[in-house]
Amino acid sequence: MTKPRRKLVEVRNLKMYFPIHAGVLRRHVGDVKAVDDVSFDIFEGETLGIVGESGCGKSTCGRAVLRLYDITDGSIKIDGVEIGSKSQSALRKLRPTMQMVFQDPQASLNPRMTVAGIIGEPMDEHTDWSKARKLERIYELMDAVGLNRNFVNRYPHSFSGGQRQRIGIARALALNPKFIICDEPIAALDVSIQAQVVNLLEELQDRLGLTYMFISHDLSMVRHIADRVAVMYLGKFIELAPRDALYAEPLHPYTQALLSAVPDPDPASEERVERIILKGDVPSPANPPQGCNFCNRCPKVMDICREIDPEFRELESGHFVACHLYNDAGQTGASRHEHTQQGEDA
Amino acid sequence: MTTRTVLLGTAAALVLAPASAMAERERGSSGHLNIIYWQAVSTMNPYLSGGTKEMNAASVVLEPLARFDNLGELTPWLVDEIPTLENGGVAEDLKSITWKLTEGLLWSDGTPVTSADVVFSYEYCTHPEGGCSYRDRYAGIEQVEAVDDLTVTVHFEDVTPNPYLPFVGAGSVIIQRAQFQDCLGARAPECTDANFAPIGTGPYVVSNFRPNDVIEFVANENYRVPTQPYFETVTWAGGGDAMGAARAVFQTGEMDYAWNLQLAPEVIEQMEAGGRGELLVDFGPLMERIELNFTDPSPDLPDGERGTREHPHPILSDIRVREALSRAIDRELLTEIGFGPMGMATCNFIVAPPAMASPNNDNCLVQDIDRANELLDEAGWERGADGIRVKDGQRLELLFQTSTNAVRQDFQALIQADWREIGVDTRLRNIDAGVFFGSDPGSNDTYLKFFADAQMYASLFEGTDPTPHLEQRRCGREPQPSTQWQGQNINRYCNPEYDELWAELNREADPDRRQELVIALNDMFVQDYAHLPLVARGRVSAASTTVGGIVMNVWDSEHWNQAEWYRIEE
Amino acid sequence: MLSYTLRRLAFAVPTVLIISLIVFLMLDMAPGDPTGSLPLTIPLEVREQIRQSLGLGEPVFVRYFKWLQMTVITEPLHILAGLTGWDIAPGGPRILSWQTRSPVGDILVQRVPQTLWVVGLGYLFGILIALPIGVISAYRQYSWFDQVGTFVSMVGFSVPTFFTGIVFILLFSVTLGWFPSMYDTTHVVRDWNSFLFQAKQIAMPVAVLALYNASQISRFMRASMLDNLNQDYVRTARSKGMGEQTVVLVHVLRNSMIPVVTVIAIGIPTVFTGAIITEQIFRVNGLGDALIRAIYVSDWPMVQTITFIFAILIVLFNLIADVLYGILDPRIRYD
Ligand SMILES: Nc1ncnc2c1ncn2[C@@H]1O[C@H](COP(=O)(O)OP(=O)(O)O)[C@@H](O)[C@H]1O
Ligand SMILES: [Mg+2]
Repeated sequence: MTKPRRKLVEVRNLKMYFPIHAGVLRRHVGDVKAVDDVSFDIFEGETLGIVGESGCGKSTCGRAVLRLYDITDGSIKIDGVEIGSKSQSALRKLRPTMQMVFQDPQASLNPRMTVAGIIGEPMDEHTDWSKARKLERIYELMDAVGLNRNFVNRYPHSFSGGQRQRIGIARALALNPKFIICDEPIAALDVSIQAQVVNLLEELQDRLGLTYMFISHDLSMVRHIADRVAVMYLGKFIELAPRDALYAEPLHPYTQALLSAVPDPDPASEERVERIILKGDVPSPANPPQGCNFCNRCPKVMDICREIDPEFRELESGHFVACHLYNDAGQTGASRHEHTQQGEDA
Repeated sequence: MTTRTVLLGTAAALVLAPASAMAERERGSSGHLNIIYWQAVSTMNPYLSGGTKEMNAASVVLEPLARFDNLGELTPWLVDEIPTLENGGVAEDLKSITWKLTEGLLWSDGTPVTSADVVFSYEYCTHPEGGCSYRDRYAGIEQVEAVDDLTVTVHFEDVTPNPYLPFVGAGSVIIQRAQFQDCLGARAPECTDANFAPIGTGPYVVSNFRPNDVIEFVANENYRVPTQPYFETVTWAGGGDAMGAARAVFQTGEMDYAWNLQLAPEVIEQMEAGGRGELLVDFGPLMERIELNFTDPSPDLPDGERGTREHPHPILSDIRVREALSRAIDRELLTEIGFGPMGMATCNFIVAPPAMASPNNDNCLVQDIDRANELLDEAGWERGADGIRVKDGQRLELLFQTSTNAVRQDFQALIQADWREIGVDTRLRNIDAGVFFGSDPGSNDTYLKFFADAQMYASLFEGTDPTPHLEQRRCGREPQPSTQWQGQNINRYCNPEYDELWAELNREADPDRRQELVIALNDMFVQDYAHLPLVARGRVSAASTTVGGIVMNVWDSEHWNQAEWYRIEE
Repeated sequence: MLSYTLRRLAFAVPTVLIISLIVFLMLDMAPGDPTGSLPLTIPLEVREQIRQSLGLGEPVFVRYFKWLQMTVITEPLHILAGLTGWDIAPGGPRILSWQTRSPVGDILVQRVPQTLWVVGLGYLFGILIALPIGVISAYRQYSWFDQVGTFVSMVGFSVPTFFTGIVFILLFSVTLGWFPSMYDTTHVVRDWNSFLFQAKQIAMPVAVLALYNASQISRFMRASMLDNLNQDYVRTARSKGMGEQTVVLVHVLRNSMIPVVTVIAIGIPTVFTGAIITEQIFRVNGLGDALIRAIYVSDWPMVQTITFIFAILIVLFNLIADVLYGILDPRIRYD
């Protein structure tokens, strides 16, 4: 079961800075470093979970990967094609292969378009199908996501939240994408419906061989769906590991703190960790602390953390972490970074 | 009053137009004329409006038997001569006057003008339900009798030394009986077509009337002077504002004549520099004055007694105070600031016609603060710590009101400063003109109730005879509760000598003696400082330099000789 | 929607009636006097007779009901008869203006064309200018175009129309002599030349109003576009690979238009009311001019009728705006 897999997505040193302007003349006075030098791969058919507190840059990262932003720096390869520096017009032809399911199903659907319009629009743009063919495909997609065909001419507002998210998913699937970023697709839904939508996503993945980047702040949901999990803090990846490794043995103090706060599904478990309460607030991404981004809140902070930003490096096979605790003094600052990752079966 | 018998319009025409040019002019030869009235004309029937603008517009269509020329002298219009005692037209007992219509006069529809039309005009305006604005022109008439087709005799109830009110001047015009006979009384407003396009004897006929907007005229084919009017068509535009009207004459040349340009003197000056037009100013009886209240307006008095002669004014009953207030005012300065070339400082109650204006009162023209202070000292008013005079514990404090109007508020401020110099503390108040000049007996803010110590406004009289105007200041003519606060003796003046002198004037028929009496009454009134004349105000219009024949007239319609206006060919 | 509209309409009737009663009573109690603007030479006894002849002797409620009946039935029928030539004009008294002593309805019919032309075109051009400016300003927020647009609309909005009007007249009429400074309401368009003249005389007042309206509406458009540009559904549209033009003009613009359209609809009554100043400056004797002059001379029948019409228009266009909102925005449902 450990056959090497093809990398579908390769991201290197991705930076997405939002400029801050101030004053009457709107001079450039600084940047919000929403995503600051992030590198990772996603293998074909897997689900990479991204977790982190709200505001840490998850959505920005996802949007940047799909080039919904003009990125500040870095390289993004999807299915072997470098898209990091492509113009938006050149990207349009590639859009069908990479799609996104958004967090707020209400806001992400144009309120003045019917279901048919929303799902069918990309077909108008990217195919020369006949009307009937398009309608057929729309019905097909509605069936696939479990929407009643009769609702095809309704407007999004007349659906429930879960149904709307199904429309969002159907829309993303319209032109057979390979890669879908799900940006907290269930965060806005009722708990009872969350499972249905997640199951739908998993089922579609199995059926269509999709690759997901699954963004969430909900650690247990990520544990359920992801093969590998990355933890983000203040614009950076601080730990990335196969799911079981991460949940069993979190290395980064931030990851440890996050996991300690997750209600254990099995209260009898002996492995219950003491809950770690983090002090202080998350710093502003416009003005991150010197050294390690986490140094002002880290329970295990050392002097070096306040000076040098720890490197994101592979500690064990497939387990990356950015923390001085795991660095020998001699290794610190050395560029020993390798981008060979092993995928693991879930 | 002297009367002249001259052929229609010739006097003016001879003075103004070179004889050679006149020979070539014919009816319609001058083409089109544009007139702008920034206050638009709302009806062509002056009897239903009373406004000057309506009277002026109607005057090119509807005409009286006689009108006043630019000097204020009676001129025969639809008659051949003015009836007088000498020519037998006025009866020896001064109780009737007989007019003889010019022979062959036609209405613009081609029918003859007869004495029946004259009688009908009287009936129309005196109908009790008609609400005729010029009703007072026909007051005191017993009967108007059509003696024959062209002869009309007006029988008065009493001795009437001035019989030249009915059918004289632009206000009391002759309307066509055939057109208006179904429009008497309450039905008058229903005759919209007639009211908007009356059939007349004047030089023009209405071809299109849009109320409060525009009137289009064409020359009257049946006009009695075959060569007139010189302008074939006239557009009489209305609306916009005074500034725009002035601009259209002086600067853009879009308009040939603009009426009533009440603008700040400096604005007028600047506009004139445009060079396309000239300002026409003439002075009539309109005069800006301050009335001093002879009665006590104190709100502490019970209703029905406040502002009546029962309670003389505690301060202003003293003539020395009134004179001091008069002398402290700088009239020349007020004139310059408020009216420039359109005003003339004055000390007279009757400022025009020139023959009636008294030469005896020019002493007030120069401000004399020292004399004013002396007078107040004499009257026992002593300066208090704050500079305001006090007498028997009462401060010399006056409430001074007027209507809301930029010039009047400037005047108020200047006069307040002048009075302050002589130790008078003045409180100012201005009231919306619609309220101030309204006659609602329920309102305490009308100029009629005069619940203040001093108030400023302008007033005038119709025609050239000041007798009715002088009559207003008689004892008992003041607004009071028993008259629902109606009456024109605004300052509640009461002087038996004045009343006697006026009665004499009202009996007198000799023009020269009448003139003397008018001046004597005027002098008595102003030397009593019963009110303080400030500025005689001129009528101001503007005309394009390309239009000739215009003779400004403050005694009648400005368009009295419209038929003779012509385009000056370059 | 239909039942909602009908219900609102039914509700509008008492609203308008109450407004009319309030307007009538307020004017009736107003301290103005229709004879107050007459020359002072007219004696008080005569003034009293004039007041009687204007029908002021009757009790106020009698006059109100007479007036209401004439405004709602007599005058509209007369106007309709005048326009169509049908013989439906009822007999009996009509509302007479105190100034002109002629039926108010006839005057309004004369006044409406120029108001509609001048103010309507001013509004129309204002909208046509405002929409693209608002869209581009929002799309290129903080660009020089947006900055200039913001500045111009601030100026257009804060500088009163009487000022721009006079500047226009001084520049284009007095100095350059391109356009007439006074509007000729009797001008009839018959051929190319007379059309040209009409275009010339209408140019300045329309420009003044268009500038003023455009500066307001472009601000609305810009704000509404900005609201929508940052919405998720725009990102969705981009992620679908739609062209930028489609994204902005189809997705964003159509959603942004919803509030703008309602603002425009609510503003339409001002096409009839709002140009009093501009009408006076350019001597366009329209409805605004009729109203203000009637107020000056206390011509209450005229003022009452015009304000009543305005009240109806305002109530009606508010209703239209609501209904439009419901039609344009599928999220809104009135039942
Ligand atoms: N368009 C933008 N302009 C400026 N700052 C932004 C923008 N989008 C996101 N940010 C900032 O970037 C940071 C990361 O935001 P986001 O990616 O939405 O966080 P998450 O999805 O993890 O909650 C936040 O501080 C946010 O304020
Ligand atoms: Mg997010």
